[in-house]
Amino acid sequence: MSVALLLRRPAWDATHLADDETSTTTRFERVVLPHLDAAYTLARYLTRETADADDAVQETVLRALRYLPSLRRDSDARAWLLAIVRRECLDVRGARHSQADSVSFDDAPALELVDVRTSPDDAAHRKLVRDYISAAVGRLSTRLRETLILREVQQCSYEEIARITGVPIGTVMSRLSRARARVAEHLRGVVDPGDLS
Amino acid sequence: MSDDHRDLGALIREALPTHTAPPALRQWARDRAREMVDVPDGQSLSVIIPTGGTRWRSARHALYAAGILAAFLVGWRGEQFAQSGRRSAGDRQTLVAQLVDSHVRSLMLQHLTDVPSTDQHTVKPWFAGKVDFAPRVVDLGSAGFPLVGGRLEYVEGHPVAALVYGRRKHVINLFQWPMTSGADESTSQWPTSYHGFTLRHWVLSGMTYWAVSDVSASDVNAFQRAYLSAP
Repeated sequence: MSVALLLRRPAWDATHLADDETSTTTRFERVVLPHLDAAYTLARYLTRETADADDAVQETVLRALRYLPSLRRDSDARAWLLAIVRRECLDVRGARHSQADSVSFDDAPALELVDVRTSPDDAAHRKLVRDYISAAVGRLSTRLRETLILREVQQCSYEEIARITGVPIGTVMSRLSRARARVAEHLRGVVDPGDLS
Repeated sequence: MSDDHRDLGALIREALPTHTAPPALRQWARDRAREMVDVPDGQSLSVIIPTGGTRWRSARHALYAAGILAAFLVGWRGEQFAQSGRRSAGDRQTLVAQLVDSHVRSLMLQHLTDVPSTDQHTVKPWFAGKVDFAPRVVDLGSAGFPLVGGRLEYVEGHPVAALVYGRRKHVINLFQWPMTSGADESTSQWPTSYHGFTLRHWVLSGMTYWAVSDVSASDVNAFQRAYLSAP
């Protein structure tokens, strides 16, 4: 259902440079499989549950195999695969329905508010900052989180993110900005605001 | 501002690790890729052979069931499954039971074929006017699965084409009908056996295929490959 919709989007069909010289098996191994870690990483951040990520990636592999002929350009493979795995993750989460889309800051267990700006222990401080960021990202709504992960972890371009998440580039930029603002806000207790804002 | 965000970006990147797919998952993906059969029908279409029992995570079904249960407990309704184009487990069992019944009936009632012919050019035109699609009929005698004939069946309220192939003393019924629009069934969890019969399901060029037989699973796999790779 979802992939059929995805495939109707013109962005993937803009060019006709299919490498039909190779079999699907070789093409998959050469073009898609190298991005399995990227797909798995996105799934881990979107589902939060390892088992759900496993399931989403397995469905993604089956779909990618089935729809591989519709991938016109090999260079699009990464974004194409990320779009499929994103869809699968949303389906998995949608099917669960038992979890809220995001945990609100009010519901989440309070983080220990420690001002360590003067901490002499750099390593400990960096670890704390990492934990705060990780927690802040975990509490973002799915839309903000996926946008931030695609940009910062997957290093996708704005155009790629727009295609993967199916929204205009302007929306991508505004989501990215909001996501960063939320994370920065959450960091105020542990990082000197002068460093960030 | 961009400098600030670059700093924040660096912090974020440092805090968020990339993950490596488990080796077993990677191997599973590679194995599935190697099951692919490219179909030489000029459409450069490929087909995935979904085999329900090949998930590398053996506990998956338990987790899946737990997820369904959890969803059910908060008021999730079965209809949503149907709306999304996927079948519920009960629907899948019903369809599989119908197909196996049809296979068994075809053997019991001496009603194996409506058009007994080993000639694909006789069998295919016979369906014209009886079903509103042109079934793909190929003779697989050279692969050890001679065409025996064709038969009209009724599955899920629609007429479907049943092709009958022989395998030594056994029979393989191959059912085919057009996919329901919007349905996405190829990656669903279909049973691969039912009451001792072997089933294989695949989707190709908008058609749904089901092979049902009492021959071994490896014979049905060989049949599927032969059918898919036939010109």
